[in-house]
Amino acid sequence: MEEGGVNVIDLTQADESFVKELEALGADELRECIQCGKCGATCPMALAGLEFFIKRLVHAANLGLREVLLDDSSVWGCQSCNRCVEICPMDIKPYEVIQAIRRAAVKVESCPANTYEGLRNLYRFGHAVFPKGFEERRKKAGLPEKPPTALSFEDLRKKYQEILRNTILEEIAPFPLD
Amino acid sequence: MEKIGLFLGCNIPFNRPDIEYSIRFFLNELGVEIVEMEGAACCPAYGTMPSLGLLEWATASAWNLSIAEEKGVDMLTGCGSCYGVQNEANYYIHKHPEIKEKVNEILGKVGRKYDGTVKVWNVINFLYEKIGIDKLKQKIKYNLNGLKCGVQTGCHNLWPSKAFPSSEENTFFPTRMRQLIEAMGGVAPHYSTITDCCGMGALRSNAPEKSLALFKKKLDIIKEELNPDLNVIGCSSCLLQFDAGQSLLIEQKKIDYKIPALHLAQLTAIALGAEVDKATALASIPLNGVITKIKGGN
Ligand code: SF4
Ligand code: SF4
Repeated sequence: MEEGGVNVIDLTQADESFVKELEALGADELRECIQCGKCGATCPMALAGLEFFIKRLVHAANLGLREVLLDDSSVWGCQSCNRCVEICPMDIKPYEVIQAIRRAAVKVESCPANTYEGLRNLYRFGHAVFPKGFEERRKKAGLPEKPPTALSFEDLRKKYQEILRNTILEEIAPFPLD
Repeated sequence: MEKIGLFLGCNIPFNRPDIEYSIRFFLNELGVEIVEMEGAACCPAYGTMPSLGLLEWATASAWNLSIAEEKGVDMLTGCGSCYGVQNEANYYIHKHPEIKEKVNEILGKVGRKYDGTVKVWNVINFLYEKIGIDKLKQKIKYNLNGLKCGVQTGCHNLWPSKAFPSSEENTFFPTRMRQLIEAMGGVAPHYSTITDCCGMGALRSNAPEKSLALFKKKLDIIKEELNPDLNVIGCSSCLLQFDAGQSLLIEQKKIDYKIPALHLAQLTAIALGAEVDKATALASIPLNGVITKIKGGN
């Protein structure tokens, strides 16, 4: 494999069990892909110059190239824009293939560190994006210091945390959920 | 009187609360009652629970949706991600009864449930469909006086259209924002890269240089084809790129022009008579010329 992309597909690496894993993680139409390339033609990751082309990604997923896909960083640069979902003639939902790869990667801790930062903020404050200095910014816009969200209601935030603890977050979070 | 649950999300209340002020202002002016969604959390962002599993995504979104359902309202958001994430979660909940059942099992542990009745609206579709072009025209206090606008709808406001409560006739040729701006007296021409991604989002977090280069490509084309007075944005994340992201490009000497940027909610609020200081409190590219033009001709 050349740096950052799959330029030569090594069939000896093909692993059917990984295809099944991805299907179970949401890429349920994966096998219907006809490699027409429409997804890639509309994908901003391609326009931005990320190495791994979505059409190739779906191909690699179909072959079950576990190592290649779990190591790939492009999947974390996907914009979730859903152009590919809109345009795919086979209803593969290529974005769901990306998500399935991410879901498999998270289980083996093969995701960028900022993934955990978002999850930690989400769990602690109810907000994945939680930048400092917001009180001042809200004042400038003539608003109360805190918005009426989970941040302002401890009892509701505790309930929200309880539902999050009932998901896979409980298993994979590298930070305490208490 | 129409009512709507105001879904705030994260970027709007914490990074750009001037959009929150603007949404509150225009809803009041247009006679829509705001229902607060106490306890609502993040949508949750695509890179968080949606990247862990479909059930995790649906459960976290259903927490928010269940708050609106209990209050008997739909939700309105100014953020493209909040719009996309929660509409997609809704779509999966409808499509997969087994997920709906599991979601409700989990929600049940804290005494909540979600039947699936809530629709999530963005500012564009809400103004276009729930308010309507004619009513908006009647309510305008400050005509935009031919202000030339470059329009950015934002990816999540367009796709996947099958998950949304309402949609453009052709999502690859969006016209709703252009029509709304024209109804307020502005000019909003089509341009060749109108549907291109601005680069904000996962790309900006994981490959910042590529993200800004992609954004510059789009901005250069807007400058060349339209040379607008203002860029008008349908999504709060895109606005961060068009405003603060553009400031970065200027700082890095990658561009030698400045195009101010406002969220559609901000522009609408100003046209309806909002306090400009509050409605544009966090804009980093100066807006002076724009406000003079809007306020000048009345
Ligand atoms: S995922 Fe869909 S659009 Fe992409 S190559 Fe396969 S069939 Fe074509
Ligand atoms: S959702 Fe991801 S893979 Fe699909 S078109 Fe957008 S950036 Fe590309």
